[in-house]
Amino acid sequence: MQEQQCSHHWEMTNVHPGFIITEKCFKCNKTSTYFSAEDSPPLEEYREGEHFWNVMGSAQSVRFDLKCKNCNTLVPLKELAGMMMCTGCDEKCKVDKLMCDLEKERTWVYVAFGFRPPEETVPLSPEKIAIIEDYFNWRRGSTTSKIKIVSSDMIDDFDTCYAEVIKDIGLLSLTPVE
Amino acid sequence: MKLQEIINKFELKALTHVEDREITGVYISDMLSDVMSSAQAGNLWLTIQTHKNIVSAANLIDISAVIVTNGKQVLGDTIELANRFHVVILTSPLSNFELATKFIQAGIK
Repeated sequence: MQEQQCSHHWEMTNVHPGFIITEKCFKCNKTSTYFSAEDSPPLEEYREGEHFWNVMGSAQSVRFDLKCKNCNTLVPLKELAGMMMCTGCDEKCKVDKLMCDLEKERTWVYVAFGFRPPEETVPLSPEKIAIIEDYFNWRRGSTTSKIKIVSSDMIDDFDTCYAEVIKDIGLLSLTPVE
Repeated sequence: MKLQEIINKFELKALTHVEDREITGVYISDMLSDVMSSAQAGNLWLTIQTHKNIVSAANLIDISAVIVTNGKQVLGDTIELANRFHVVILTSPLSNFELATKFIQAGIK
């Protein structure tokens, strides 16, 4: 089937468990995150240009792409670091306002976010976010509730956001070797 | 089988409001990322995790109920969030293995 005519039926493919590693440069205080599929990702301090990166923490996560069962269109999602559910922690936040509007229709708002620092990583495009939303709504198959996925660009201050992130911390310890 | 029937039959305790619905199977995992990638809508999710993030993963997939096993205490914050998002949380004193065995014996897979 040709891509333009296809109504798309997305499924997960290239599913890889791994770790989201968070590191910080002690010289400039910049925070960086990346996905590692290695069993033992590098945890010791290392230098990269002017940065001296130190691992601050890790969380188990999963990386995946989406593929259309009908037309084989592949949507790589390497830019997706994770998703979190808006809990309405800041009434001035645009995501909170959206959730207040949609909650009465039982539509729940999730935020898809990319890697840090945002100014140095490829952002998730609106098209890809719409595809992720289509996929999860199809998979839910619910007639009584839906999810809406938005970009983390809608959040003014990511560091003070209390959304519930879907990640696993502490199940497998990945701490730097003393 | 309907959720309310399962609650009665397996003596599960409801910590939240219960919306009765058909269940589609059982998924056992303590990893949210695993549930996000592999659980199916309508599944019963057996776990020993009790933190608030379980609501986020269960709601994304539209899990029929989270069953916290081993008699683990679920904090009020988690229950409050689950009620707001219509996620059902149940508890059982049995382990994942013991409860799953009973489900299989009852023909639930």
